[in-house]
Amino acid sequence: MSGVLKTIGERLKAFRVPGYYKKYDHYWTMVVDLDKCNGCAACTVACYAENNIPVVGDDQCAKGRVFNWIRLEKYVEGEYPDVKIRHIPIMCQQCSKAPCETGCPVYATYHNQDGLNVQVYNRCVGTFTCATYCPYDVRRFNWHTYTQEKPLEQQYNPDVTVREMGVMEKCTFCIQRIRAAKDKAKDEGRKVQDGEVKPACVQTCPTGAMIFGDLNDTGSEVYKLASNARTYRLLDDLNTVPSVIYLKKVSGNGGTTHG
Amino acid sequence: MKRRDFLKFIGAGGLGAAAGFIFGRTGKPPGAKLMPVLIPDDNITLGLANYYSSLCTQCGAGCGIQARVMDGRVKKIEGNPGHPVSKGKLCALGQAGVQSLYNPDRIKTPLKRRGERGTGDYVEISWDEALKAVTANLAEIEKQKKADKLFLLTSPQRGSLGGLMRGFMAGIGSANIHEYELSRYLNLQYANKVSMGLDGLPYYDIANTRYLLSFGADFSSTWASPVNMSYGYGQMRQGAHRGKLVQVEPRMSLTGANADEWVPARPGSEAILALAIAHAIVEKGWYKGADAGAWRSLLGRYSPKDVQEMTDVSTERIYSIAKEISSNKPSMVIGGDGLASYDNGISGHVAVNILNHLIGANGAIGGVLPNDHDSGKVDFKRGIAPFNQAALSGNASALIVHNANPAFTTPVAAKTGEALRKIPFIVSLTSFMDETSVYADIILPIHTGLEDWGDDTPSPGVGFPVRTIMQPVVTPVYDTKSAGDIFLSVAASLGGKTASSLKAGSFAQYVKDSWQGAYAKDRAMASSALTFEEFWNNLLKKGGWWTDQEPKKRSINVSAQAVSAYLPQGQAKFDGKDTDYPLYLVLYQQHGMRDGRGANLPWLQELADPTTTVVWGSWVDINPKTAASRGIKEGDLVTVESPYGKVTLPAYLYPAIRPDTVGMPIGQGHSAYGRFARSRGANPIEILPFKEDARSGAYALNSTRVRLSSNGKGNMVKIEGSTKELGRGIIRTVSSKG
Ligand code: SF4
Ligand code: SF4
Ligand code: SF4
Repeated sequence: MSGVLKTIGERLKAFRVPGYYKKYDHYWTMVVDLDKCNGCAACTVACYAENNIPVVGDDQCAKGRVFNWIRLEKYVEGEYPDVKIRHIPIMCQQCSKAPCETGCPVYATYHNQDGLNVQVYNRCVGTFTCATYCPYDVRRFNWHTYTQEKPLEQQYNPDVTVREMGVMEKCTFCIQRIRAAKDKAKDEGRKVQDGEVKPACVQTCPTGAMIFGDLNDTGSEVYKLASNARTYRLLDDLNTVPSVIYLKKVSGNGGTTHG
Repeated sequence: MKRRDFLKFIGAGGLGAAAGFIFGRTGKPPGAKLMPVLIPDDNITLGLANYYSSLCTQCGAGCGIQARVMDGRVKKIEGNPGHPVSKGKLCALGQAGVQSLYNPDRIKTPLKRRGERGTGDYVEISWDEALKAVTANLAEIEKQKKADKLFLLTSPQRGSLGGLMRGFMAGIGSANIHEYELSRYLNLQYANKVSMGLDGLPYYDIANTRYLLSFGADFSSTWASPVNMSYGYGQMRQGAHRGKLVQVEPRMSLTGANADEWVPARPGSEAILALAIAHAIVEKGWYKGADAGAWRSLLGRYSPKDVQEMTDVSTERIYSIAKEISSNKPSMVIGGDGLASYDNGISGHVAVNILNHLIGANGAIGGVLPNDHDSGKVDFKRGIAPFNQAALSGNASALIVHNANPAFTTPVAAKTGEALRKIPFIVSLTSFMDETSVYADIILPIHTGLEDWGDDTPSPGVGFPVRTIMQPVVTPVYDTKSAGDIFLSVAASLGGKTASSLKAGSFAQYVKDSWQGAYAKDRAMASSALTFEEFWNNLLKKGGWWTDQEPKKRSINVSAQAVSAYLPQGQAKFDGKDTDYPLYLVLYQQHGMRDGRGANLPWLQELADPTTTVVWGSWVDINPKTAASRGIKEGDLVTVESPYGKVTLPAYLYPAIRPDTVGMPIGQGHSAYGRFARSRGANPIEILPFKEDARSGAYALNSTRVRLSSNGKGNMVKIEGSTKELGRGIIRTVSSKG
């Protein structure tokens, strides 16, 4: 990007241009192969562990306040005996044209130079605008300061802030792991290698359904997968340009083939 | 140290100052109450993470893990990337292992019973007093010549701790070791023994199969070795040879949801269905073996036409499965809980072995491969029924319980509570106050897996020899001891034969010594010049011992003659007349909870069940049609009644269950087990008959019919909103070529 963009208006305009992030060093991308994902939800629990996500209890869950940054959504089609149940893991799609960012009055949620949709906790004033604008229902609001019963808090990850009442949060693509890998690469005077950053969900996913990497890196696994015939993006007609790419589930019929 | 993200894979050799108390002494190190960072140990650098290789003890699969430890606390558990079982991955339950360690409901000091048995009324005592009480009781039993009536009830042990326990019991002079947990896959192991001569659970090479027919094996969720099998499943679902999955079960499990085809056969008819498929393969000449004639006559009575009524699966479908499985090789059949949980469970698994024989899957790549390691032999005669019988008839002089909870996982009809009450002295070695421990006189709080030493030989294995090491990754959180050290110290105080048969100074030493054999073998194999200490330190870094081989194919034969005595006679039996109890009841383990062990972990309570999205509770699955005909709406409280009792739960209208069947998950309904588990949902096991197969020691979970009555509005918390995509194209599919 040439020159310095002075006003927020100018920046926004620049950042709204699809593909602007290609000019940056990284374009972090997640690929989820729905044909491999078996709905085991290990990703969900790994994310709780990595990101100090609070357990809110059944009353809060009943009010729809469960905190899962990544959830397994379930869809049912047909009637007995021809029923199909399908699962899809959904986390923040890190949209390149993120609806949530347009609404925040204090720029607590904005797009960073790595193509990530980030949330600044200590800037957030809790207007809930972003969550209302998000079409993917991935934003979670701290209605209370949720605490864990001692000594469960000893497990808290020191690399991740513990949030308090009034703050909005969501999947960060495990930005702390991205930062760590970038720092290390910088210290060693090299680029971040493909596969070096593994978000917690990706790391634990038993089926290998999730792959993470830099779409700007033409040698990366995600770059290769991005041209797979099965790719699609969630609710892509909304033109949010998500950084999460799904690979379609294959409806198999025996003796099957796919790319 | 350079950067905070610098990964160190260090073993105990590098533990430095910490080694003193991690190794030998149990109990708290001096100064443990101080902030550990005031005088950091050599291995603690503030803000730096260390990674220790160890073993997941959340279930019996035996996944290798790496614990991320910072400032003396476990922050995260990951799969050990080099480990052949976990391959760097973990399941939801494994991820939550750290919540077992830091659980607020762990037992923090030894306890002595004050109130009535079963009430959980205890007073805290010192370790000294507790161990003296245990020793005194055992010494008294020895004096009265009742030592042969001492019982040990433990979770299955495949490593050093098992050896130590056997040594202890032999020293005392008792043969009564009952290894128990709900899912020991006893019918499967028994069937493999009688039809193929195999011990332990084999490796299912899902990764390389192209057609997988599963009879109720929910391997994506709870069955056998979920991480390893899910890994294989991911491999199977890729590339030019994407494998097909067909799942047979009356209630669609998570694995069923992933399947390309779901076959809701009538409950209890799965064994017959398997043999009808076998019949079709032989009949159509798709099996070319020399023994085809023997199979033709043996399978004569299972023709698809004759069984379609009983199985509720059409003749066409049976032939089409038979054809696909014969023409898409390598193909494989797996029999899971859905097959084993009937009173004819052995027959079901024998039928699967026959099928695998006919499609050439036994011993084949992409099929069923035996392990080259010894994960221990099962004593099929030591189920829970003979134990309860001995206790009820006054033939148990004392009981040592270790991490086993039959009071929760056996039906009321089994009379486990009554049996426990009859035993004069019970000591429980446990980390949590579970439903069995509330009967104990003395409770000895033990380390969790992340604080203890141990080792394991996985079963199911991976097709080549593996042995995993477990090492303490942090100092104990509470005043707990290693179960192994407790056995050693009680043996030493008892003296006599018990003491002389167990000489190790500590369990850590005992574990280490038990690796001398592996060391000798390794030296011979690798012709390496490592000293034992070097070998041991490498072991701790790596997380165990394995040889990085690919599984090899074998030749395994199933002969028609050997299996003829085990063929199913008909549909499995269900108690209760169909006029009074019109519906079949099928139970399954709740995702994350497994047999109930996960219920005290808040992450898992709040984890939506993948099939129903229910959190913090349990439910009864009813087909919407069945519910409508009874005026039951979603969330209504429904009483499910069998001839043996009733439980009440909210209804979940599940379209993927047979209309003549209701399902309930196992895992909730705890009366003890801590604040997160207690008084949530119901335990459906309570209302089962107790039918333990005397041959295998397995008892049938799906063995009764039930009736329903509606009971007003319930309180079921589920996460899902609409389950319809409404044309939004959320989960898109593409049809396969070919
Ligand atoms: S861990 Fe992987 S396989 Fe399991 S639900 Fe998540 S994405 Fe799917
Ligand atoms: S990328 Fe990180 S924050 Fe996002 S869902 Fe995965 S584990 Fe959670
Ligand atoms: S399957 Fe899950 S709980 Fe069992 S050992 Fe593996 S990670 Fe642990």
